[in-house]
Parts: sequence; C-alpha cells; structure tokens
Amino acid sequence: MKAIETLKNLRFLTLLFAAILVVSCSDDDDNPPEENIPEVFTDVTLVFTPTGGGTTVRATAEDPDGEGIADLMVNDEITLAANTTYTLTLEILNDLPDPDEDIGDEIAEEDDEHQFFFAFTDGAFSDPTGDGNIGASNAADPINYMDEDSDAQDGSGNPVGLVTEWTTGDAQSGASFTINLQHQPDVKTATSTSEDGDTDFDLTFVLNIE
Amino acid sequence: MDAKTDEPIPYAAVKVNGTAKFTSTDAEGNFTIDGLCSKSNTLFISSIGYADLTQDHENDSNATFYLIQKITGLEEVTVEAERLKEVGTESISQVVLDQAEIKSIPTQSLGSALSSVQGVTFASVGNNIQLPIIHGLSGNRIIVLNNGLKHGFQNWGEEHAPEIDITSASRITLIKGATGVRYGSEALGGAILVESTALDLNTPFYTDLGVSGETNGQGFNTNLELGSGSENWSYYLNGSFTQIGDRTAPDYNLTNSGKEETALGAGLLHHHKNWDVSVRYSFLDQNLAILRTSFLTSPEAFIRSINADEPVIIDPLSRDIREPNQVTQHHLAKAQVDWRYSDAGKLTFIGGFQLNKRQEFDVRRNADLPIVDLDLVTNDYQLEWTHPSWNGLKGLLGIQYFSQNNDNNPGTLNSPIVPNYNIERFSTFIVEKMEKDRNTFEAGLRLDFESNNVRGREPNNDLFRDEFSFTNLTASVGYVREFTDGSFRTNLGTAWRTANPFELFSFGQNRWRLIYGLLRYEENNGEISTDNVARFDESEVQPERGYKFINEFRINKNDNEHVLTVYSNYIENYIFDRPINVTTTVRGPSLAFIFDQADALFLGADYNWRTRWTTSISTDLGLSYLWTRNIGDDEPLINQPPISTSLSIQWDQGTFLGLSSSIVKLRSSYTFEQFQAPRTIPIQAIVDGSETVTLDSEIFDVLDPPEGYFLLDLSWSFGFKNLSGSIAVQNVLNTSYRSYLNDLRYFADEPGRNLILSLNYQFKPRKTND
Repeated sequence: MKAIETLKNLRFLTLLFAAILVVSCSDDDDNPPEENIPEVFTDVTLVFTPTGGGTTVRATAEDPDGEGIADLMVNDEITLAANTTYTLTLEILNDLPDPDEDIGDEIAEEDDEHQFFFAFTDGAFSDPTGDGNIGASNAADPINYMDEDSDAQDGSGNPVGLVTEWTTGDAQSGASFTINLQHQPDVKTATSTSEDGDTDFDLTFVLNIE
Repeated sequence: MDAKTDEPIPYAAVKVNGTAKFTSTDAEGNFTIDGLCSKSNTLFISSIGYADLTQDHENDSNATFYLIQKITGLEEVTVEAERLKEVGTESISQVVLDQAEIKSIPTQSLGSALSSVQGVTFASVGNNIQLPIIHGLSGNRIIVLNNGLKHGFQNWGEEHAPEIDITSASRITLIKGATGVRYGSEALGGAILVESTALDLNTPFYTDLGVSGETNGQGFNTNLELGSGSENWSYYLNGSFTQIGDRTAPDYNLTNSGKEETALGAGLLHHHKNWDVSVRYSFLDQNLAILRTSFLTSPEAFIRSINADEPVIIDPLSRDIREPNQVTQHHLAKAQVDWRYSDAGKLTFIGGFQLNKRQEFDVRRNADLPIVDLDLVTNDYQLEWTHPSWNGLKGLLGIQYFSQNNDNNPGTLNSPIVPNYNIERFSTFIVEKMEKDRNTFEAGLRLDFESNNVRGREPNNDLFRDEFSFTNLTASVGYVREFTDGSFRTNLGTAWRTANPFELFSFGQNRWRLIYGLLRYEENNGEISTDNVARFDESEVQPERGYKFINEFRINKNDNEHVLTVYSNYIENYIFDRPINVTTTVRGPSLAFIFDQADALFLGADYNWRTRWTTSISTDLGLSYLWTRNIGDDEPLINQPPISTSLSIQWDQGTFLGLSSSIVKLRSSYTFEQFQAPRTIPIQAIVDGSETVTLDSEIFDVLDPPEGYFLLDLSWSFGFKNLSGSIAVQNVLNTSYRSYLNDLRYFADEPGRNLILSLNYQFKPRKTND
C-alpha cells in the first residue's frame, strides 16, 4: 500500500518536472533592435567660407571604425588665403549606419549643453588675436562666436561655436588649428572652460596661410 | 533528527504536553514514552542549538521528528558552520554569517558584509557596486545561490553586483572551494549561499522592526518582518527600504555616490505528513549612483583626472541620484517540494523563475535614455534525490535544467554592449560521502551540457549571430579527519566556465575606457584589428578550467582556535581584461583594453587565531595572503587582492547595567600595497610615444597601485529585553585611502568616517531562549 503511494508520488514529481521542461524549452531568438546611434562621431569636416565670396575650404578628419581600435585619420590640411575673413561652419556625421547620421542637428538642439573651443598658432589670425581659448584659464580669450545658446542657464546667451568668424593674418605654413567640442550638461556657464564637461571631439589640423 | 543534515540528535528532551511525562533521546536519537492515556498526544521536543518543536503524534507509530537549527549569536558561528555543511561540501573550508552580524550594518552590500572573512574581499565600482572576491576570483567564478537558486543577473564586468538585500537574509554561508559539482560548474572560486528567513513550524506570531541611520551619506534603512508558524503552515513577510545620499571622503564630497533600495519578500510553507511544500518570492529595486567624476568620456579629461589629487568634479552634497547610475529590478520566485518518502530518503523538487531588468544611464547627449536596457529571464529546475544510506554511502543525485534569455530593449540610441542570447544547460550530478570512525570521504561528479545562441549588432547595425555548445565533466574528491581538538579537511575540485557574453562580445566605450571582447579583436602582423566579429568555433577562445586544492587545519584547544586554510588554484585559459594600448579617436587618445586568456596560478593562505584571554575579553587575528601569476606568459596578473591583516578585540560584558548583553568590539586592519601589480606606464608616455606597447608587450597599468592603509572600526552592540541594537563607527581615524580593488581608485578616495546606529525590536519574541 505504502509502496504504491510512493510510486504514485514519484510519478507525479517526474511528470511535473517533465511538464515544466517542455514549457520552458520554448525557442526565442529575437534579434537586438536596430538603433540610431547619434552618440558616435566618425567624420568631422571644417568648412571655411570666405565672407566676401570665393573658394570654400574644407578639411576632414575621420575615424572610420568609430569605437574600434583603428586610429583617427586627419585627411586634409587647412589652407586659407592671407588677410581674408572666413565663416567657419561644421559638418559632423556618424558614418557607421546607413544612411549617415547628422550629429550637427543634435548639437544645435542641445546648444545650451555644448561649446566649441579653439586653439591656434599665435598670430595666425588677425581677428581673433592671440592663440585661442582652450585651457582652464583661457576661456575668456577672444573667439568670434557668431551664435549663442537659446536656453542659457545663467540668463544670458552663451556662445556655442557652430558658426564662428576668422580673419587670417599674413602668410605662414605649418601652423596648427585645434577645435574642441565640449559636452557640458548642467555645467556650461558664461565662465565654463574647455576643461569642464566631457570632450565630444578634440581635433588638430595643420594650418597653412598663403 | 536534524532537518538539514538528517543526523540524529542525541539527548534531546521530549515532553508530552499536558502530562508530566518526559524522556530524552539516546545517542542515536531514539526515544520511547510508555504509559500514556490518550491515543494522540502532542510532543514537545527541545535540544540546545535547535528550535523547539511541538508536534502531534499518534501512539505506537514510528515517526521521525525533525528539529530545525536555531541561530543564537556570534559565539555559535563556527559551531553552525561545522554542523550545517551540505553533502558535497563538507571537506571544504566554509564560514557562516548569522543574522546579527548581517544586520549590524543593514545598508551594506553583500560583498562588504562578507569581507570580514579571511580570504574574502570585494571588487568594487564605488561604494554601491561591490562584488565578492574569494581567493582572488570574483564575478561569475563565484556562484551566488539566492535561496537555492543561482542568482540570475547581468553577471559580467566589475560594475554588476548581485542584487540581494542582505537585511532579508537570515544566514549567509561562504564556501571557499570549487563547489562546482554541487552548485554549478562555474564555481571556480567558491560559492555564497544566501538564505532568507527559515519557514519554521510552531512559531508564535512575531514582528521584527529594524531602523538604522548613518552619518556618512545621511543614509537610513528601515526593515520589517512578520511571520508565524502553526502545526502545518508557516509564513513570513518582509520589506526593507534604504536611502543614502552622496558620501564624503575625508577631503571632499563623493559627488553622485548615493543609493536607493526597496526590497520585499514573502514565503509560505505547508507541511503535510511527510511532504513540505514551500513557495518564496523576493523583489529588489535598486537605483545605484556611480561617482560622477569616473564617467569622463574624454580621454584627455581622464588623463587630467588620474593625475589630479582630487576628483575633477566635486559638487555640493545631494540626495539626488543622477547619471551615471544603474536602475535594476530583480524578481525571484521559487517553489520547493520536499518529500520524505522514507526515514532516510528524500526527493526535492525546486522550480525557480527570475526576471532581472536593468537600465544603465550615462552622462551623454541623451542622458534621459538608458544606454543599456536589458531583460534577463532565468528559469531553473532541479530534482534531487537524497538516497537512504547504501553500503555506508550517503549522498545526493540530482538533475538540473537551467536557461537564460537575455534581450536588449529598444530605445537606447546605442549599439548593444552585450548581444541578445539564450543559454540552456542540462546537468546531472552525484555527490556521495562515506563516514568511518572519525574519517569522512567525499566524492562528486557532474556532467553539464550547455548551448549558447547569440544575436548581436555591430555599431553599423549589421547583425551577427553565433551558436556554440559545450559538454563538460566536473569532479571533486575530499576528505575530513576529526580529532579531539580539531579537524583537518582537504578537497580537490575542478570547475569550468565559458566566457560570458561581455568577455566575448564587448566593443568600444565602457565607462572610462574602450574595451574589446575576445571575439572582437584579432592580431594582424602584431597589430590589433577590431573590424570583424569572429565565430566562436573558429576562434581560439577556450573555456576556463580550474583545479582548486584547498586544505583546512583547525585546532580548538584551551580557549584557542586556530584555523589555517591553504590553497592552490590553477586555472587554464583564465579570462581577464587588461590595458593594451592608447588609440586615437575623435575625442583624443583613449585607453584601450582587451579581454585576454592565459594560464594562471593562485597560491594562498588564510589564517585565523581566536583566543579568549579572560571570560569576557577575546581577540581574533586574521591574515590573508595570495600569490598570483600568469604562468603562461610569466608575468603578473592585474587587479588581484593585496595582503591584508586584521586584529579584533572583543569585550563581552555579558549582562551589564541592566542590559541583557553588551559587546564592545574594536577592529583594526592593515591592507598592504599590492606589490605584485603589473608595471606602470603613465598614459602620457604612450600618447607622446616615449613608450611603445604592442600586443606582446608585458602587461601594464596606467597608475601605481595605491599605498597600504590602516583602518580602525569600533562597535558596541547591546540587547535590552526585546530591543537589540548597535552603534558602529567605520574608519574611526577618518583615513584617506584608496583600494586597489576599487575601479574608481583612479579618481577618488574611499569614504571617510561613518557613524551607524541601528536598532531592532521584536514585538513578540520569536523564540524563548533556553
């Protein structure tokens, strides 16, 4: 009698176990969702447009594998005409997905969190003078920002740098030009510097003026 | 009999309720009471170290009564450990933490709670994410069993710790050897068994209320548990809430280092004849802040940060948790059926379901969106047969089915850091022991079959898929010899572990570095390329195989207890991450890491000497030493625990000034600098080209290991009627220090002095003390 009950109980447990195995062995091989990836910068192009008309100068740096280990490539030198005023605008792309992702728009939307900083060989430009505003104590140094953010935290519009203006000095070659985009959520103020927040990109080009 | 070990309990008192009849069990635990009037009687059975049992009993029947072990205090910790060892682990050195120890600091993590044990420490990312390390191994080389189920969580990287609320744990057992056969083959380092409240029968209704507050971080915890047990039913309900704001190091605020945690748990047991059916559920919701200054995505800021004495970002103290942070919810549901079909035979069925939802937030352009958003479903079924003694063999046979399904949720605007994957594992195991006089022999075998199915996306959204499977055998043998004044135990266990999805597939930015998984890079003429995702079967990736040999000598004589644990662990194809080079990105030069494999050797010893100087003064001296080496390449390993020592002095005043107990404890510890750390190459030297590194270069780190440090902790714990409590001060001297095992050592000091007050009140005493 007891043995039969034991057997019954055993069969119950075995069945329970088998039933659960069957239920839980269901196949699921979903793919991860496709994401737009605006966080990755691969291509940055500097576009110098002479204000008085003339040839537009473009210089590109690209990191074709994004977060991969291959090094960044700076494809072009910047060659500008002497004593000429240029408007500098930027094309910022993520080249990895198809079609490319335009990150410039994203920065424009969040302009209160971003600022571009610049450094260059002293005297390369007659306006702005000096060597740029990169560095913890150089933030107030002259740069001709032509835009300001729309939602400044300290009440007045702070510079962004998607559009800047540059007047070249006399001819020289082998100078350098550095552009640095800082992402400064809750950090950007009238006095924040290139060392505040996180760096989105930091690129150095060879600058020739002829 | 003992409900856990099935050992007979000698000399237990047995009384028939409502009569004056009583007797005690003999050396084999048997008893008989004659001359009773009524046919059915209620028996009251009690024995020291066990909860009292009151149970109905029909006359003339041969029944077995099971007593459940009771935990009474610190003094019994080692006794408990001796008694509670599960079959298959008896020959392995282990330590038990009881509720009083766990609850003295209710806001601490599992890792931190266990770190008082010699040979155990924790790897951390800040103060909230702390992973236990046993003898140099952490992460998924240690099995965390949450109420008997392998805790199913995102167990990869240093930044994911098991989501376990320690205030709901009634006991934590730490096993220091390779327990792969019994608990799961990946337990190369050891196992941690977390048990929540025991479901005891015949327990009057009780309510435990605990509150605590602490000065550093202005944190508080409140926890509540209620429960009751009748003849056939038992239940408990518990809950806990913790909130901590930004902590402070001695010299500055640790901006964004708080946490918030809500935990709920419930259990129900029905006992019917020789059946026990129990269900348990637990839920944990965590929001863990990660130090703001550690998420500088720019390498230039990283270089600036590691060279600075203070964090680059220090804000005023706040209770808000901002990015970077991790929000996780963990659900665990478990059903267990125990069927004692005969006096010595038992069948146990366990079914478990776990859902782990994890969202991680980074400082980034779309900071309100999680950058990692994962759902992990774990199913676990086990059937175990504890067989009756057969030719002197006692043991356990089991089959297990384990499956995990990980899915990425849409909307992260980021390519997934780990792919979607499904893991299925069928296992069968046997552990047997044989006792002869004072000798116990143990042996175990386990067979696992595991299949993996992986679907991931590359940064350009291209899909990659892979399937791979393994069949593996794990074995262990052990021996215990009991002496009059001590014991000797020795165990040799094997274990194996496959690389986890993060170790295989990670690609790109991970916190402050770039990292590439084993299948995401290849060597081309001495250069690393990350253009392709390798197929597992075509790659050189091999599972880790560990061989751990652990010996424990225990001497207990004249108020002196010495415990020496000596071990060696040889791991083939040990997987670890290491800095490999600096790569230039649009953000500037960035430090790149790879996962790598090498044959590694771990040799170490833990020593503990407890001695009682007078009836009230005792001391506890501890020393942990670990030597590690990548013997395949003859170079050091990175991120291994340094030597540590501790000395505690305890003054147990007994009943004192009207208090039922009063214990003052002073603990001092010294952690040495890690002298086996890899050489240091400053990151600037690689950037400016003064040092060149290749794949074949000797391993390096970019910062020297932190100096050794001395810490002092003080606590006073007391009992007064139904109230118990403690006042503890951590880091009494407010020492500024950094831990080599904290990933944030590059950025900030550890927290300074912390005063913790905790109180526990039992509204109805759970059990009367004998």
